[in-house]
Amino acid sequence: MGGGLSRVVAVAANTFRETVRERVLYNLVFFAILMTLSGLLVGQLSIRQDEKVLKDIGLAAMDLFGTFIAVFIGVGLVSKEIERRSLYLLLAKPLSRGEFFLGKFAGLVFTLLVNLGVMTGGLYMTLVATGRGADPILLTAIYPIFLGLVIVVAFAMLFSTLTSSTLASILTVGVVVAGRFSDVVRNMRQVLPGAPAWLVDGLYAIIPDFRGLDFKSQVTYGDPVPGDVLLFVSLYAAAYVAVVLGLGLASFRSKDFQ
Amino acid sequence: MTWRLAVLLLVLAPVVVWSHSKLDGRLGARADEEVLYLWTGNQVRVLFPGFEGLAADVYWLRTVQYFGGQKAFTQGRDFALLRPLIEITTTLDPRLEIAYRYGAVFLSESPPGGAGRPKEGIEVLEKGTRNLPGSWRLRQHLGFFHFLYLKDAHTAAAVLEEAAELPGAAFWLKTLAAELLSKGGDRAASREMWQRLHDQSEEGILRKNAEQQLAILDSLDRADQLAVVVEEFGRQRGRRPRDLEELRSSRLWRGPLEDLRGTPFRYDESSGQVSIARESLMWRPR
Repeated sequence: MGGGLSRVVAVAANTFRETVRERVLYNLVFFAILMTLSGLLVGQLSIRQDEKVLKDIGLAAMDLFGTFIAVFIGVGLVSKEIERRSLYLLLAKPLSRGEFFLGKFAGLVFTLLVNLGVMTGGLYMTLVATGRGADPILLTAIYPIFLGLVIVVAFAMLFSTLTSSTLASILTVGVVVAGRFSDVVRNMRQVLPGAPAWLVDGLYAIIPDFRGLDFKSQVTYGDPVPGDVLLFVSLYAAAYVAVVLGLGLASFRSKDFQ
Repeated sequence: MTWRLAVLLLVLAPVVVWSHSKLDGRLGARADEEVLYLWTGNQVRVLFPGFEGLAADVYWLRTVQYFGGQKAFTQGRDFALLRPLIEITTTLDPRLEIAYRYGAVFLSESPPGGAGRPKEGIEVLEKGTRNLPGSWRLRQHLGFFHFLYLKDAHTAAAVLEEAAELPGAAFWLKTLAAELLSKGGDRAASREMWQRLHDQSEEGILRKNAEQQLAILDSLDRADQLAVVVEEFGRQRGRRPRDLEELRSSRLWRGPLEDLRGTPFRYDESSGQVSIARESLMWRPR
């Protein structure tokens, strides 16, 4: 068991190094420029709304950049190894498909964590530099953003085991968009009263509820996310990721690489 | 080859800068022609799921820029996009209180300071009170606007009464509502409201607008004082003065004959009426 975990960690560490080599973290430079310009300009353009605008820009950038990384790197994690045929070498070693799959997942999740952590520091630095307080309430929105990104990575990896990289990217983006409209799905029967309840309820249960993980607007007004909500959000995300990863793992295990 | 390219770039780069500055000089300061492709907040919301807060900020910045651009650079200011921009902003972020407050002023103020559509301004504030039912300040603004722009003292008093009931509301709201009901509204009530708005506002457009409104009220007071002196002149001389300068030479009036922005008052000898001249920045339709 301990050996299995250490192999997962080794794959994860390697994946992290790989993403860094692929210049994924370069988005942080763009984020730094964005926050600096925002800090300098927003105060002059908006009327007494600079703090809210800065927070909105910072949180939206974390969400958006993170989603891009999760989708496009996540899809390539397994498929690249297959295309480069390096997977065969790896699997010939004492490394199970499950350990490889989970290691890849953990590596990208760690990359996203580092990325989000640096962005959080950047946002706080901008707020402090522009004379605003380092509001810890923001963390109660950033944490659910991270959980959402983990779900996206799980989906990207699942689809990459099922189909080509291009189609997997399209499908993952589709899931992200659908998840961001989960409230529309929930209220679908108000617009389409004839829609069968089982269909609406089923769709709502299947689609990842990214709406339910979105607290950006709330925290920019200084309203913290209650602790019990964060607990349920964590449980929901953990369970959802476990299911999607489980499906991905099953698909990956059953894949014939001959 | 490389050095030729470098020379070419060195020659061309200043030409770009020079021609651009010439073009700017030729066209003069101008507001971009504004186009709105999406007319409702719900349409925009569909495009930015999960990023409504940021989209609201962008639309709010655009609203402020549009208002400033129309005010500064456009001849026939119709502020056509102002209401939809405010609507989109407040639909995307229903808690953005500043958009209701400033948006209502932008819409209600008479031209050239605003769009001159106070009913729309009041609709914006009504939407604000629906979305932020706990905000006594928004309700106070709504009451003030009913009185100041629609001259509806009764509704204004009722709304101020509602505002007074909200937690944290200012103590003077009830008194003001009672005064409006008893006196039906007068210049003193207007002055108090503008003074309150001035004191509550942060530096910027709202405070400047309140200062302008207070200056208008002072100018109206000055015109009324002049009208009284005109009547006194008539009683003493058996005729009204031919112009306001005659008041000064008669020594009945030693003060200025202009409004607070320096534009001479309009004087009608046949009626003895003294009023703010139409060309003055202080002039407002009654």
